[in-house]
Amino acid sequence: MTVSALTRPGERDRITVKLSQIDWTFCAVITMIALAGGAMLYSVAGGAWSPWAAQHLIRYGLWFMVMIALAMVDLRVWFVIAYPVYVVALVLLVAVAAHGHSSLGAQRWLNLGPIHQFQPSEVMKVGLVLALARFYHSLPAKSAQFSWWLLIPATMIGAPVALVIKQPDLGTALLIAATGLTMMILAGLSLRVVAAGALLLGVAAPLAVKFALKPYQLTRLLTFLNPEADKSGAGYHIIQSKIALGSGGLLGKGFGLGSQSQLNFLPEKQTDFIFASLAEEFGFIGCIGMLILYAAVIFMALRIASIAHSHFGRLGAAGVTVTVALCVLMNGAMVMGLAPVVGVPMPLLSWGGTAMMSMMVGFGLVLAVRVHRYSEITSGKGSLLF
Amino acid sequence: MTRPEIYFNEVNERQGVFHRRAFLLGGVTGVGMIALGVQLARLQLVDAGRYKVLSEHNQFDFRLRPAPRGLILDRNGVVLAENRPDFRLFVSRDEHTDVEELLDRLAKLIPIDDDHRQRLITDINDAPRRAPVTVMEDLTWEEFSRINVRTPELPGVTADMGDIRVYPYSGAFAHVIGYVAKVTKDDVTKTGPNADPILLNPGFRIGKSGLEKTFDLDVRGKPGAKKVEVDVKGRVVREDPGGDLAATPGAPLKLTLDADVQNRALEVFGAESGAAVMMDCRTGDVLCLLSAPSFDANRFVKGLTRPEYQALAEYERKPLLNKALLATYPPGSTFKTMVALTALENGVPTSKQFTCAGSWAWGGRVWHCDSAHGTLDMKGAIAKSCDIYFYQLALTQGPDPIAKVARTFGLGQRYDIGLSMNEQRPGLIPDTEYKRRTFPKDPVWHPGETPSMGIGQGYVNVNPLQLCVMCARLANGQKAILPRLVHSVGDQLQPAAAPAIDLPVSKENLAFIREAMAAVITSGTAAGVGKLDLGPITWAGKTGTAQAHSYSGAGRGAHGATGAWDQRDHSWFIAFAPADDPRYAMSVLVEHGGFGASAAAPRAREIMRVALLKDSEVRARIEQPLPQSSRPAPPSAPAAADPSAAAPATPPADIAPAPANAAGAAT
Repeated sequence: MTVSALTRPGERDRITVKLSQIDWTFCAVITMIALAGGAMLYSVAGGAWSPWAAQHLIRYGLWFMVMIALAMVDLRVWFVIAYPVYVVALVLLVAVAAHGHSSLGAQRWLNLGPIHQFQPSEVMKVGLVLALARFYHSLPAKSAQFSWWLLIPATMIGAPVALVIKQPDLGTALLIAATGLTMMILAGLSLRVVAAGALLLGVAAPLAVKFALKPYQLTRLLTFLNPEADKSGAGYHIIQSKIALGSGGLLGKGFGLGSQSQLNFLPEKQTDFIFASLAEEFGFIGCIGMLILYAAVIFMALRIASIAHSHFGRLGAAGVTVTVALCVLMNGAMVMGLAPVVGVPMPLLSWGGTAMMSMMVGFGLVLAVRVHRYSEITSGKGSLLF
Repeated sequence: MTRPEIYFNEVNERQGVFHRRAFLLGGVTGVGMIALGVQLARLQLVDAGRYKVLSEHNQFDFRLRPAPRGLILDRNGVVLAENRPDFRLFVSRDEHTDVEELLDRLAKLIPIDDDHRQRLITDINDAPRRAPVTVMEDLTWEEFSRINVRTPELPGVTADMGDIRVYPYSGAFAHVIGYVAKVTKDDVTKTGPNADPILLNPGFRIGKSGLEKTFDLDVRGKPGAKKVEVDVKGRVVREDPGGDLAATPGAPLKLTLDADVQNRALEVFGAESGAAVMMDCRTGDVLCLLSAPSFDANRFVKGLTRPEYQALAEYERKPLLNKALLATYPPGSTFKTMVALTALENGVPTSKQFTCAGSWAWGGRVWHCDSAHGTLDMKGAIAKSCDIYFYQLALTQGPDPIAKVARTFGLGQRYDIGLSMNEQRPGLIPDTEYKRRTFPKDPVWHPGETPSMGIGQGYVNVNPLQLCVMCARLANGQKAILPRLVHSVGDQLQPAAAPAIDLPVSKENLAFIREAMAAVITSGTAAGVGKLDLGPITWAGKTGTAQAHSYSGAGRGAHGATGAWDQRDHSWFIAFAPADDPRYAMSVLVEHGGFGASAAAPRAREIMRVALLKDSEVRARIEQPLPQSSRPAPPSAPAAADPSAAAPATPPADIAPAPANAAGAAT
């Protein structure tokens, strides 16, 4: 009944019908992840709700409701606000560059009234996905393969990446760039161009290492390549993280008993390295379980993307999926010593307000795509608001 | 018609590309996830053991704990050096520490004056990060608990309880036992025992002088370790007593010294400067090795301030110097025993007479004596200490035979008694060879130098230990016994450095010298002060007076005894007791004490009385019931005492002294 209801324009706008179309399994899975995050934050605080666990769960609760609300929002509205959101995010990034608050030598935050430490780069994660989806929705397949038109998405990706690199936040910049490029490929970018680009990158990367990277970024890179070289300095984070993971063994040391995180040997234990704490206390079983949850999220989101009728919906949902997948892979690889230490949080597991916001808004979009998968969006004129 | 179709195809094409590539994306993500899973398996399943060890290395740390330092005991087990608990306060800094602010907060809890504060600021800033620096020791319980309850608000501050060395009789034993003090940079070596990291432990102390230094490694023991759980900043979170490694306590050091004798010796010196050495003349055990004035070794343990140190170092009576081993002076008339023995060994009879008229012209100058003694035989000359007799007797012998005998009796050499050889000076017994070696411009022994040697002046130089050894060998009569200061280290008995050899001297001649020394007390130079007042127990001795300055003319006695302190003669006395069955031999030096009989002899008597009264066999003789003590013939006394001395006492029979033939002298 529901599916047929969805296909009838009159009925599909009813709120009960929409609610029934929300993927509740998906909601359950992300809630499990967020609860696991809350538990780990409770543990790494030495068995205390403050300062992280309680806030994390309250935020999640609030954002969960926002996500459901966003899922009700018609895709045509998403479509219309896509460019404005992108522009606002870009303006905020410029504002951060102009006079943001710096921490540990990086300028990433804005103080927006009650919301301290607001990171516009997180808004950009959603903004770029929306803007690219909006752009490709109206672009013919031929042009999407390879044409001068592609200069527009390239610029849309390049501008925020440049601003975020300037902050400097290599991890987020990399994430945004990778998300944008993946969306271009999903939208039909010629694979020959992709291959050529990869080749070019192979040549350009050493040059970038030589000229464009800041010393600390270079150190991180070198440290990653040989963490043993500097045990107390930059290599320390990687070594300690691997010790935490390895010492967890098959079943882990037990909840609240991870010595690496409890005794602060693990750096940034509440944000970037929360997965290592989980690994230490719950072992291989816990880690694999967590990865399965993430894989499920990615799989379900990708499936939602592929059943959408509108190109905007497809690309939007896929863009969010790519962001999640990249976050999980980059953070996982970093924690396990497979990638350099770049500040990418584990979605919904790591503590952090703006990161959770962008993730939950993204999931709101994914759910909205599912709820409105039969919506037709006519490009440009004749859409909902214009 | 074509347009919608194209549009349709076009839409399908975009959808198809997306689906293919989304599928690919899913695949790539899946591969990435599997890669993560593989890496997880590698870390958590394959290498888990290795990482568990690393994690424990992070989590647990062993904190070195010094072993309790071995006790130092006297011959009867009286504690001369021990350890007492000490409340200490340490500060270690990390990158966030504001040293000044921390000290301000500490100053509200414990007294820290400005000097101390300045020193602490440099100390703490010089120390490596997280290395504890001692702020204060010997906190009172109130101060300790006040700090202890506030440590959570005082990052980097720790208060704990450790051991600190304490010397209960610090003054009397300060020179022999020495002291421990804080480790300085120079003490830490790259290799060897002093490379041990325990030296960097705050509050750790090592032996800096005396026996504490030479036996440092034995009494130090092996440090243990305390297992603790630490956080990333090295702060102790929990202790794990089950994992502690026990320390091996330092070995106790048992000395041959007798605390009562040594303490009495320090007492009798009062304000005087000098030294007293006493040996058991049957075994060589050193019962007393005292230097006066002394100092409080406990002050060195805590760390002396500069003014305190200067006050000790610059005082003219030199409290820091171990005069028993380092002060070498002419032995004066005590050396006459050697000259007389040389003459006897070379056939001069005891009846040999010279006449003393108070002065004697020889070799183009006039030689003086204390008084005109008249005609004397050898015994009288020793008893009266007639210089003119010995000028002439020495001339009959020459320097080399006298030097040979003097060396046989232990003068002019250092002894391995467990103290650093640098803490001993050998002195000098001159002979013709010495003059040839030392004075290339005038390599000849002039006959005019022999009379001076005959009365123990001139080049002759000895320290109190050597004179005591000489006296002990005279008293022993058979063996060239060697001094022994350390009885045992832990269970390890310290052997005497080398087995004592037989004295290559006639026993009759030795007996004669002992007789003459007994006469010194009964009728000679020490007759005025000499009585022991211990019933049948008598003693024998020899006075000596050593010139501190050369004085012109005849004003010697008056000048040497009453001039400015540092101009006066040094006063010597050597003695052994009981005279008929010698057990204890000693030497006493009173620097600038004047005449030997007046300054040194009374002090020797007091010290000797303590030793004799502690000796159970001697006591038995003193407390003998009247019928036995009234036995007329003293020669029977040694006969009675000797078997009893040889049987239960430790020394083998051949070390025990020959029955002294001092019958006449003893009365």
